[in-house]
Amino acid sequence: MKDLPAGGPPRYPVLLSAAGLAIFLGVWEATVRTGLLPPAWVPAPSAVPLALVREIRNGIWITAVGDSLSHYATGVIIGSLLGITVGAAVALLPRFDAAQAWVARLLRPIPPLAWIPFALIWFGASQTAAAFIIGVGVFWLNYFASQSAVRAVDSGLIELAAAFGQGGFFRRLWKVVLPAASPGIFSGVRSGLGQGWMAVVAAELFGIPGVGQRMTEAAGVLATDVLVLYMLTIALLYGLTDFLFELITNRAMAWTRQ
Amino acid sequence: MDTPVTKAPPAAPEAIVKLQGLAFAHPNDTSGRNVLAGLDLVLPRGGFTAVVGPSGVGKSTLLRVVAGLARPSAGEVRLLARPRPDRRPAALVFQDARLMPWRQVAANVAFGLEGLHLSAAERRRRAQEALALVGLAAEADKWPAQLSGGQRQRVGLARALAVEPDLLLMDEPFSALDAITRHTLQDELLRVWQKTGASVLFVTHDLDEAAYLADRVVVLGGTPARVVHELTLDMPHPRLRGALAEEVAGLRRALEQNFVGGAGI
Ligand SMILES: Nc1ncnc2c1ncn2[C@@H]1O[C@H](COP(=O)(O)OP(=O)(O)OP(=O)(O)O)[C@@H](O)[C@H]1O
Ligand SMILES: [Mg+2]
Repeated sequence: MKDLPAGGPPRYPVLLSAAGLAIFLGVWEATVRTGLLPPAWVPAPSAVPLALVREIRNGIWITAVGDSLSHYATGVIIGSLLGITVGAAVALLPRFDAAQAWVARLLRPIPPLAWIPFALIWFGASQTAAAFIIGVGVFWLNYFASQSAVRAVDSGLIELAAAFGQGGFFRRLWKVVLPAASPGIFSGVRSGLGQGWMAVVAAELFGIPGVGQRMTEAAGVLATDVLVLYMLTIALLYGLTDFLFELITNRAMAWTRQ
Repeated sequence: MDTPVTKAPPAAPEAIVKLQGLAFAHPNDTSGRNVLAGLDLVLPRGGFTAVVGPSGVGKSTLLRVVAGLARPSAGEVRLLARPRPDRRPAALVFQDARLMPWRQVAANVAFGLEGLHLSAAERRRRAQEALALVGLAAEADKWPAQLSGGQRQRVGLARALAVEPDLLLMDEPFSALDAITRHTLQDELLRVWQKTGASVLFVTHDLDEAAYLADRVVVLGGTPARVVHELTLDMPHPRLRGALAEEVAGLRRALEQNFVGGAGI
């Protein structure tokens, strides 16, 4: 062990990481307790669990999370399905590709959050507006991922389908193109899941009910403990969706890991 | 297929494939250069025909045309197989096995069966049978990536056998394998051929392989390619690998002559 250079791998990396986190929280707590930082700027970490208990007791936490999850799910599911479908169609149908090329070039550089004003005009400060904003961003991610995944499908497998009587458009699509492209499509969906949470917070800062709106309210009265609580809530929700999707991916894509 | 009723002499075997004045140019080759032209060939039902020829002459192209994957630009391809709902008239074995990595071995073998009128139980049974025929019954639940090159090639063969084709088309199926595996698979193929009674059209650039397997060897040559030489081999199987030197030498001569001829004399 003494031969290891100073920068070598630590013997107990988990212990070190836990110690690092403890020190971080301890220093943070100390700076607030000693009045070095005013609580109106930063809450003490110990205040956050208390805030959680309060927010759960008064029922706001569950409502906010439920609202956010509901338009997140709507936006992500619709945006992903549309993105995958249109992306695959672009890759498979040269005429459709040509027809949509300039429209896509025109619309795609618009940042999804730039749609917020229109979403509010069209749908008001509603779940639909939030789902729309989330869906726009998710759409483009999936559009590109699915398009390049479908284009990259081995032409030999297409020939195989034809040689064994499965060369018709839909059979080929279902039995060869989509499975072959699925790793790329799945990774597109996964990045959409991440970007979706970003859009959730942004949309709700504009008054659509959910976690982000509760954050705006808390910020207004300098309830920084509540603010941090909801920041962590979003992180938890993102981590959870990403983890669940990874489980699904691992099951569906078992063949890529042999 | 409505063949004209002719009083063929009893010795003439029934044909499975008739190619007449076949020509083929790649549709996206702007020069319009023919790869095949004026190619006539009749394959007898139940026969084992090998096709040899220099690289790039058009052997794979010929197989693709016979398999119906490419449309001839002139001439005629007639596949005289009776259409049946539970079998395919022809099936192809690729040089690169070409398995679908997302399907386990049994599902890869069942791929061609999914286009036929078969119940799920029948598909499973036929896939199992085909796997047993190539000695891979125990590997049914493996992923293609877990197989050796020889095993992958066997799966490709099983997939073709599962649809019980009248005509088995094989494009250099063993050329990527080591000599020992290749010899094993050659013997297996002969066994399967004799057992199933399928007709085989086997492309190879290995003259020893052609002479060992086939009862007839067709040499393709020239640009555009046509049949420049034919050799009938009527020795019974199993043949002695070392005892075919004369036949192989004859094939090599035919190949070399036509290679020079093809180069412009
Ligand atoms: N997609 C294509 N477009 C245009 N020309 C092609 C295409 N594919 C093949 N060719 C040409 O057709 C000719 C015949 O090709 P083919 O693959 O049939 O040869 P082969 O006899 O099977 O050769 P090998 O022994 O190397 O496999 C070649 O000259 C090749 O350049
Ligand atoms: Mg070839």
